[in-house]
Amino acid sequence: MSREDDLLDELYDYTIDGEREKVVALTKEGLDLEMDPLVILFDSLIPALEEVGRLFEEGTFFVPEMLVAAKAMQGAMDQLRPLLAQTDAKPTGTFVMGTVKGDIHDIGKNLCNIMLEGAGFEVIDLGVNAPEQAFVDAVKEYKPDAVGMSAFLTTTMPMFIPAIEALKEAGLRDDVIIFVGGAPVTQEYCDKVGADGYAPNASALVRAVKEKMGVT
Amino acid sequence: MQLSADNAAEEPEFQVIFMPSGRRGRVTKGTAVLDAARQLGVEIESICGGRLTCNKCRVQIEDGKFSKHKITSDKTHLSPPSVEETQLLKKLNSLDCRLSCQAEIQGDALIFVPEESRGQKQIIRKSAVERAITVSPAIRQVYVEVDHAQLGEHRGDWGRLQDALAKQEGLVNLSIDLRTLRKLQPTLRQENWAVTAIVWQDREVIDVLPGFAEGIYGLAVDIGSTTIAGHLCDLRTGEILATESLMNPQVTYGEDLMSRISYAIEYKDGVDKMHNALIEALNKLAARALKKAGLRSRHIYDAVFVGNTTMIHLLLGIHPQELGGAPFALANRDSMDIRARDLNLRIHPGAHVHILPAEAGHVGADNVGVLLAEEPYKQEKITLLLDVGTNAEIVLGNRDWMLSASSPTGPALEGAQITHGMRAAPGAIERVRIDPLTQEPSFQVIGEERWSNIWNLSPDAPLAEQPQHLAAGICGSGIIEVVVEMYLAGVLLPDGGFNIHCASPRLVWDGPRGKYLLATESQTTTGQPLFITQADVRNVQLAKAALYAGAKLLMNRSGVEKVDRVILAGAFGSYIDTKHAMVLGMIPDCDLADVYAVGNAAGDGARIALLNKQKRIEAQQLVEWVKYIETAVDPDFQEEFAGAIHIPHRSDPFPHVAGLLPEPTTRSKNGFRRRSRRAVLDHQSA
Repeated sequence: MSREDDLLDELYDYTIDGEREKVVALTKEGLDLEMDPLVILFDSLIPALEEVGRLFEEGTFFVPEMLVAAKAMQGAMDQLRPLLAQTDAKPTGTFVMGTVKGDIHDIGKNLCNIMLEGAGFEVIDLGVNAPEQAFVDAVKEYKPDAVGMSAFLTTTMPMFIPAIEALKEAGLRDDVIIFVGGAPVTQEYCDKVGADGYAPNASALVRAVKEKMGVT
Repeated sequence: MQLSADNAAEEPEFQVIFMPSGRRGRVTKGTAVLDAARQLGVEIESICGGRLTCNKCRVQIEDGKFSKHKITSDKTHLSPPSVEETQLLKKLNSLDCRLSCQAEIQGDALIFVPEESRGQKQIIRKSAVERAITVSPAIRQVYVEVDHAQLGEHRGDWGRLQDALAKQEGLVNLSIDLRTLRKLQPTLRQENWAVTAIVWQDREVIDVLPGFAEGIYGLAVDIGSTTIAGHLCDLRTGEILATESLMNPQVTYGEDLMSRISYAIEYKDGVDKMHNALIEALNKLAARALKKAGLRSRHIYDAVFVGNTTMIHLLLGIHPQELGGAPFALANRDSMDIRARDLNLRIHPGAHVHILPAEAGHVGADNVGVLLAEEPYKQEKITLLLDVGTNAEIVLGNRDWMLSASSPTGPALEGAQITHGMRAAPGAIERVRIDPLTQEPSFQVIGEERWSNIWNLSPDAPLAEQPQHLAAGICGSGIIEVVVEMYLAGVLLPDGGFNIHCASPRLVWDGPRGKYLLATESQTTTGQPLFITQADVRNVQLAKAALYAGAKLLMNRSGVEKVDRVILAGAFGSYIDTKHAMVLGMIPDCDLADVYAVGNAAGDGARIALLNKQKRIEAQQLVEWVKYIETAVDPDFQEEFAGAIHIPHRSDPFPHVAGLLPEPTTRSKNGFRRRSRRAVLDHQSA
């Protein structure tokens, strides 16, 4: 096995463990060895986050483990980003994400963003308490493949409706795949508000988005 | 005596089991089910004594063979119902039931006692703590002799009463309730112009009684989303004459606050329904307390209510929609005086109900009540006060400054969102110990003092050795204890995952997910084993992390590194073992001797404000002084929250319980069913 292969394995393991410093150091070493940044990304970092998502889904990992893994990956991405920009590699897709108006819950949405970025998506985060117009403006500006709306309360999930309505009125509804999610949300509720997809957790969201977009 | 012994020898005996308590024993043929229950120590409500009028004692008999209980039960094992009983049950829409005072045992029977028939209702753990209160009520009773009316003098009878009150008590600028004005003239003349005026806040005459009258009473109520608890007090002495509590009937419309707000949004008559249910419950509570004290509703001249902001909105019939989302705008933050009759409250119709002010959208009058009762704002020591419920209120500070926050802990700490979670009611597991060497548990349920490891559950166990109640589920304090005990016994890792290296047969694996067998099938009312699952542990972790993170953000904000004392309030707070709460990392490190549980301090605060009108002013000043912090949007919230998910914490030290904690262990690197990079890549390309 070459050092390059060992390095990819180590990078994979340390990313899952959330060891940011080691991940940054290994990424630098890889680039010094003139490894292809796309190989580092697609053959180590993205698989690592996919495994983190799987471990989360099966209940082995929990919120903190996911957050530290994401931070470690961010450390690597800071090194890779300038080089990736020079390649003609495109992101897997573009995703606009926000917690709906009236709701200030952040973390569930952030976990989704982590997994989407981990799968190579470009994510535009509208933050919490995002008004309908913010979704409309973001869709106009970034032309995303999909929009995610998050709500944590039974009292705020009805806000999906005016947000989707606003996209319809702006004539943008059919340009995007709309996902809804959050603790009280169900597939049934997703159908009721006229969204295109629902996922119970962050990894499932990535799978659902890819499936709807027709990418692997 | 000889005769009955002979009878007993002749009449066969049958096996009878009552559920959900699980009490069992042999009963002579022909015994009424109600009497059988009493013989076996099962309480069934019955008021009429078998006269077929109270309808309280309904039970259900199970049909079929129940191998777990080793019994075959059948409807025909009870005497057939009489025409009267059938008619009554039909009227009650409960033909699937029998009246236990009528049905007689004719064979082996497994009998289910529905919740509403159980003599021992939900254990409501809200009681008044001894507190020194200066009695200075808002009501005064003034006996005056009023000038007689005479020709040529035109003040009017109200003017004459005002003059008498001004002259004798210096009371000026009084007003009079119209209802009182209507009865003023006959009342004055009844005892030769001697009357007793009931004066509220030195502002308004709310009643006049003929001659000399004595006795003023008041009602202090804490309207919780689950439990409503009230004290009836003598306003002259401060004495508590009766304490009553009941379930909040709004539970029917939604377990927690947000689901009730949703109900109000979804259904046009939602607010009315919940408002009316609440008023009815308050009237029931007042009536019960009055009955206990031997008083009438007109004797309650004053009332102070506290409650969370949603409850206060619904109490007043205000739509709680705005509390359902940011920015959580209150209709009114400040204190209010509402005429009792405007709310259809059956107390003195002229009485005003004082409602303590709120601090912010989700920090309500109940929290202000806790502050009034505990007075951390008068102390030099820095107090962290946690009022734990579905939504936790957190207050930090001392006499110089004070911050408050609310933290959405969710209902896990009250036993909801837990696989076998339940409220604190008979049969709820409330204490847990796990042997660190064997990982074997023992637990205590509400209604039975003996620990589960000495229960005798064999089919022929003598009554004295049977538990009063089998395990029906687990309540908040039990949940905290089981998680902490699993951690201390090495069943659970600090990150909250089950430990694959723990070899105990109690730890069962379902693929990658572990679960811990707390109660075996013979120990539960359902006959099913009671497991604590990974999801249960995760829900507890989320709740405790929200609480800790909220407290920590207030500490960071005020530059406090360590608190001097911690107060746990709320009905649930008083049953938390403080040591377990700290090992869990639910509260920040502090000397355990300075961690107190104060029970229903909100209700005490209401009582204090009832007895001392100065405290109502103090409460209003307090809410204008305490600074509310919106922790959920704090940029550090996520970081603090994530750190607090570990048990007790990923990085914060807990020196006061450090000696109790096991050696730190972690999942061995690259161990635990993690796939290799190759495997993931192969899976991707497949």
